[in-house]
Amino acid sequence: MKMTKAIAAALGLALTATTVLAAGVHPGKESIEKSGYKGPETCEECHPGSAKGFLDTVHWKHASKVTNVEGIDAKVEYGMKNRIYVMCNGNDIVNNLKEIPKSPVTGKSKFSGCNTCHPGNHLSDVGSTGAAAEAAVDCLVCHSTDYDFRQRKPFKNEKGEVVMGQDRSTKAALAIGKPTVKNCMVCHEAAGGGVIVKRGFSFTKDTDAHAAKGMVCVDCHKAKDHKMPTGHDPNNWANDGVFVSCADTSCHGVKPHKDADLNRHCAKIACQTCHIPRTGGAFAKDFTVWEQTPDKFYEPTTLKKEANETTPVYAWYNGTVKNTPHFIGPKGSKKDGKSKITPFKIFQGKAYYNKQTGELLSMDFAQPMSDGDTRAGVLSAAKTLGLKNPEKIAKEAVPGWQTIYFGSNHLVTKTKALYCANCHAPNGVLNFKDLGYSDKEIVKLTSPELFMEKLAQKQKEEW
Amino acid sequence: MKKAVSVMVLVAVAALTIFCFGSVASAGEEIKMVGVITKIDIAGKDAKTATATLKDNKTEQLVVITVEDDLTLDKFKDHRIVEGDEIRCKYEVIDGKNVSKLFRKTAGC
Ligand code: HEC
Ligand code: HEC
Ligand code: HEC
Ligand code: HEC
Ligand code: HEC
Ligand code: HEC
Ligand code: HEC
Repeated sequence: MKMTKAIAAALGLALTATTVLAAGVHPGKESIEKSGYKGPETCEECHPGSAKGFLDTVHWKHASKVTNVEGIDAKVEYGMKNRIYVMCNGNDIVNNLKEIPKSPVTGKSKFSGCNTCHPGNHLSDVGSTGAAAEAAVDCLVCHSTDYDFRQRKPFKNEKGEVVMGQDRSTKAALAIGKPTVKNCMVCHEAAGGGVIVKRGFSFTKDTDAHAAKGMVCVDCHKAKDHKMPTGHDPNNWANDGVFVSCADTSCHGVKPHKDADLNRHCAKIACQTCHIPRTGGAFAKDFTVWEQTPDKFYEPTTLKKEANETTPVYAWYNGTVKNTPHFIGPKGSKKDGKSKITPFKIFQGKAYYNKQTGELLSMDFAQPMSDGDTRAGVLSAAKTLGLKNPEKIAKEAVPGWQTIYFGSNHLVTKTKALYCANCHAPNGVLNFKDLGYSDKEIVKLTSPELFMEKLAQKQKEEW
Repeated sequence: MKKAVSVMVLVAVAALTIFCFGSVASAGEEIKMVGVITKIDIAGKDAKTATATLKDNKTEQLVVITVEDDLTLDKFKDHRIVEGDEIRCKYEVIDGKNVSKLFRKTAGC
């Protein structure tokens, strides 16, 4: 009798164990169910050090040392926290989350600030450290599949401070797992001022070959200790010191094709060039003139396209970045032996420049958002940054354009990948002359001689 | 006289038919609008369809939009999109329903 009971118990245990594993249920669930979720301290019981470790990542600091960009200080950390460019003409410092002045038309205000895309609570803000910061990390925004986003918005507490809300319910903490696409897209989808603005970043089965296979962000961006591997987008500088590339041996390696002709091209042509033939999102913005939106607030005038609507430009890229007040983009050449032909989305933005120094100025969006007064935004930012004579700077500021090259690293396709004639026909997608090929080379590179036999064979097989 | 009337009726019928054809053809057209959500109706976590009522910013009319794409449905379920949000919407009239082709929160920089 005792024996059977023991066996039954053992069987039962084994059963629960397998169901737990099979359903991917988080082993900490039972404990959280019992004691409730009190924030990172609950997780720390079994995952000690994870909150403290998190504070040392780009996702918390919005900055890191940057080694591949010219014209910046190697000792300073750069990122969304402090950079000034024209996709969003401010940063976490000048556009710190706050209530904007009331609209003169409707009398309404709203919260606005770049640092809403941060897993803190704003009281513990971008780059903060110490016990309060550790307790403020929103673990669930990346790890829960049952997060109530009504909680994740700014509000004023009883002291009048602006707080970024979080869902800290036990219910949300019972749905813990590896981050899903949705978790990452909470912030990444709307980067740059709305969905499909910055990069035309859509990750669905229709727009990306990997999404179609059921892959998620962290299948490629495999993080250890919350250090997320990234690439070398000329425009996205901050990094955790770890990198991912399509040609990593753990992914595809440098010779992924059965076709030797394609593999040979990988020495000079980035995988993205053939496999990401389209890009999308905003291609021009004007921060000097804001348009009124139906709710009577204002936003920068923006021209945009859907995820797969823009043809990229192609340039040699060796992973280092040219950075001037009017240009941010790839460095490299046909001859340096390191560069590859790489696709980019060109974005152009108009903003104010310092008349004295020629430097690009930044803008606090609060005032322009309320009444369209962009110079007031420049003035406020100049004051926040402690520039000398802010009034003079704002009054004399000169409108001008900056061109930025955005990396194009998602929207991967196999079926629409570029093939021989897409490049080697006379109307091919590459401008061989701009890429530095001589007239003689171009004659050769645009002759059907290169692909005639192969494509004829393929045509035969297809029919 | 009688004949004339019947001819006119015929012409009218013809015109109506053409008109109908015209509107059938335009059923494939996408209509664009910007409006604020006044109501979301979705039946539970597994719902495959939902409706959202938008107040058109231009006309102040209420327009009921049927939403069927998973991404937007999911945003209704976890409240990433809620009543009061301003939406940029493209829809097509299919079988009398305004079926959403694009449903995005407008958001400034
Ligand atoms: C009672 C102990 C316990 C608690 C409390 C706990 N966990 Fe876990 N967690 C585990 C164990 C055990 C594993 C599996 C082994 C591992 O990966 O470390 C795990 C795994 C994980 C994983 C990896 C899941 C996967 O599928 O890859 C994540 C993410 C995670 N926990 C997050 C959290 C978060 C966030 C909290 C706080 C809300 C938390 N855990 C609280 C015990 C716990
Ligand atoms: C909806 C979330 C979100 C908001 C709001 C947001 N950003 Fe970002 N931002 C991101 C993400 C995600 C990235 C990195 C990924 C990328 O570039 O695609 C980023 C990157 C940046 C970068 C490049 C950082 C680097 O490492 O070089 C700058 C600069 C930047 N943002 C400025 C701003 C400014 C200025 C604002 C406010 C006016 C703002 N952002 C608001 C999500 C956001
Ligand atoms: C910005 C998103 C993000 C936030 C916020 C976040 N995590 Fe994670 N976490 C990740 C990613 C990404 C992984 C790696 C998943 C993978 O590679 O499978 C991860 C992995 C983990 C793991 C698995 C073990 C490991 O370290 O790789 C644990 C445990 C964990 N996180 C706990 C936490 C806790 C506790 C917090 C809050 C203090 C937290 N996470 C906040 C994104 C996040
Ligand atoms: C709370 C908002 C938020 C969430 C959630 C979030 N990110 Fe980010 N992420 C950002 C911001 C903001 C930046 C840019 C910071 C900067 O460059 O200064 C960024 C940068 C990055 C970068 C480039 C810098 C780096 O650390 O390598 C990668 C890669 C990245 N995120 C991947 C992810 C993945 C994968 C997830 C889901 C597990 C995720 N992010 C979830 C806000 C977020
Ligand atoms: C199939 C693998 C794969 C998947 C899936 C994937 N990425 Fe990436 N991602 C990459 C690679 C590779 C790079 C860097 C390429 C380079 O610069 O060489 C990158 C770059 C990035 C960057 C840096 C900015 C940029 O666009 O270059 C961010 C941010 C990012 N990914 C976020 C995400 C998020 C969020 C998801 C999920 C929605 C995701 N990624 C899904 C492979 C992937
Ligand atoms: C010169 C253009 C070109 C370059 C460069 C290129 N590819 Fe491809 N790739 C293609 C084409 C075209 C196909 C589709 C072949 C087919 O359908 O048979 C393909 C197919 C693939 C496949 C699917 C193979 C299969 O058998 O289904 C993978 C994986 C792949 N490429 C990865 C890569 C990676 C990784 C790189 C960079 C190291 C790369 N490609 C560079 C053109 C290219
Ligand atoms: C993304 C555009 C692209 C595609 C697709 C492409 N090529 Fe090329 N191809 C190039 C470029 C650029 C070079 C010159 C590389 C260099 O500088 O060494 C080249 C070089 C060549 C050469 C060497 C020419 C010489 O004598 O110097 C041959 C042969 C060739 N390609 C054949 C093909 C065939 C066959 C295919 C289809 C399987 C193909 N290419 C697909 C861009 C492309």
